[in-house]
Amino acid sequence: MYEKLKILAESAKYDVSCSSSGSQRRNTGTLGNAVAAGICHSWSADGRCISLLKVLFTNNCVYDCQYCVNRRSADVPRASFEPEEIAKLTMEFYRRNYIEGLFLSSAVEVSPNHTAERILRALRILRNDYGFGGYIHSKIIPGVDKELVESIGFEADRLSVNIELPTERSLGFLAPQKKPNAIFAPMRQITNTLIERNALKGPGTMFEGMDLNNPAHYLKEESNAYLLPDGEPLSLSRLPAQRRSKGKLKFAPAGQTTQMIIGAAGETDMQIIKTSESLYRMFKMKRVYFSAYIPISDSPLLPDRSVQPPLAREHRLYQADWLLRFYGFTADEMFDEDHPFLDPTLDPKVSWALRNISRFPIEVNKAPLEDILRIPGVGTVSAMRIVRQRRVASIKYDDLKKMGVVMKRAKYFITCSGKYFGIKSMKPDEIRNDLLGLGDGEQLSLFDQTIVGAQSIIHSGQSLLGGGYDELHV
Amino acid sequence: MTNYMYDATFEGFLCCVHAHYYLGKASNILPSTRCEQISFLDSVEIKTDPEKSEAVYRAIRDKISLYDLRRVYRVFLAEAEQKEMQLLDYIRLGFIKGKSVSSYHGHPIVRNAELLEKKVTQEVCRLKGLVRFSVMEGGILYAKSEPDNDILELLANHFADRYRNDPFIIHDLRREKALVARGGHWYISAFQESTEQRYDAGEIAYRRLWKEYFENIAIKERTNPRCQRMFMPMRYRKHLTEI
Repeated sequence: MYEKLKILAESAKYDVSCSSSGSQRRNTGTLGNAVAAGICHSWSADGRCISLLKVLFTNNCVYDCQYCVNRRSADVPRASFEPEEIAKLTMEFYRRNYIEGLFLSSAVEVSPNHTAERILRALRILRNDYGFGGYIHSKIIPGVDKELVESIGFEADRLSVNIELPTERSLGFLAPQKKPNAIFAPMRQITNTLIERNALKGPGTMFEGMDLNNPAHYLKEESNAYLLPDGEPLSLSRLPAQRRSKGKLKFAPAGQTTQMIIGAAGETDMQIIKTSESLYRMFKMKRVYFSAYIPISDSPLLPDRSVQPPLAREHRLYQADWLLRFYGFTADEMFDEDHPFLDPTLDPKVSWALRNISRFPIEVNKAPLEDILRIPGVGTVSAMRIVRQRRVASIKYDDLKKMGVVMKRAKYFITCSGKYFGIKSMKPDEIRNDLLGLGDGEQLSLFDQTIVGAQSIIHSGQSLLGGGYDELHV
Repeated sequence: MTNYMYDATFEGFLCCVHAHYYLGKASNILPSTRCEQISFLDSVEIKTDPEKSEAVYRAIRDKISLYDLRRVYRVFLAEAEQKEMQLLDYIRLGFIKGKSVSSYHGHPIVRNAELLEKKVTQEVCRLKGLVRFSVMEGGILYAKSEPDNDILELLANHFADRYRNDPFIIHDLRREKALVARGGHWYISAFQESTEQRYDAGEIAYRRLWKEYFENIAIKERTNPRCQRMFMPMRYRKHLTEI
């Protein structure tokens, strides 16, 4: 058992999602409930949170995806769980408060359907025989029958189908056995089932105040162009807040997520973020996770083993992802054809503000919330505090720091009761140099910029890399 | 100006607030367990009177808001010197500003209360994850913990619902008390560590499995102890099974 757990945890660790959020349920069974905000139970040595018991059912795989540690041609120890073993282990860990639930994934043994049936059996033992009420996240393997997806959805809180690579080209190249249509079919089915059941919620605050369960969002089978950047935002009708269905069996109440590997196939940040955006807009996914590619294979198609995982890049991409879901930004605002990569030295919100300096400074005492959210250094919490306080008292410059605004970045972009505290000329270059602590007229050469920049981010951003994203912001 | 001493209960503190308005302004409020810190000459011991505490309780709820009453209670559970005077300042400001008092985020008094409250709520959030139960002989779940703040009560509903069918005890070693729950009901009482503790037969095996899992789920190439420490400070690790 120790050996099995070791192998199958080791194989599952590259799955990024650790969230246990999105479901609220009281204990009506034997053991366990679910908390909407999610709970982290521990943090492993890489600083990523451990919320769910994340294991593979088996790492015996018939596929040979180049980037994957469990590909058929890899020389790794193999093991498989029995459904009963998984259920028992989950119960015993949960009882000791080690975990918030189970994240069950699997390599493809025999066929996708065979694997999904075993997953379903484990979940049913857990839910029905043991009366487990905690959180379950289940992976859906591309190519599984509709009936199986539906049955698993009734047992699990969250479902995910991994897209793995953001373009059709790289998918065909590195994972020839996975077909785009087989990935999108279950994604589409999950979204459509949620619409039918009136329970689609959507990512962050992206669709706030809109009724996503309108039949207009129903995804038709013939539209398969999900991988292409989707420039036109879908028109969304505004309807009163939805009514919740009661007493019915719930289908995946915490929605669906997916994940993409970063830095394995040479895509640009723009392609990654545009694909994420269209996944959010089409499928209303709760999250798109990124995972910096860690060289684990000698395949000539992939980065060499000596290449460091692009952690700083992953961090910037997550910042951009947050701008999409919580700050009202679109992918088109963050990139143009000349700049298909995010600036490694500055966060994407600052970069955007410097390119659109004519929209600044913003008066914190007057501007609407949407504009406040676009000020660099202001987060969703401090934006709400600004809006709350100014209903009863004007905001003074010193108040902003107490509200949690990062003044180091914000000061160039705001006025407080008409007074400006940044650089008078409002020239993007000067602000940029000042932010990075460079002297007048000094400029980093392009070469220095990438080297110095990446290091400084790794240093200053380290505390955030990789962990804790989920539970802090749902 | 008077120094008030009280019995370290929330009701006792509310009576000191009452005394501040009706007996004379408070220069300091201290639990009597710490009375050696002030001279006896100008200090008054306040007896806890349910009628007075009830009156202050209602006044905060009705003249300020329920939100602020809850905030006052959470701040009271914080482990901080001078929390009583900071709370008194907040309540006084609340009686002037009314229900909008919590909107003055830039005001130093409100800011202080927010910070203390955050200490408490953040620790509650952490401990919901970091409490580790051991299954004892007879199937009772037992957990040791040493929280910075007095937060057992704030954990109670969460765990009582989750372990509805498992009797459990969460022991606060620092304050020598424990949360005891069974069948969804709970109470808090004084508690001493028993010298005789016998684990359930499977306990050691599951601990080893968990440790095994914990070590293998980390990605070596991403090792980041600083990040780990930020989310899971050293002081909580003493009672963690996996470390």
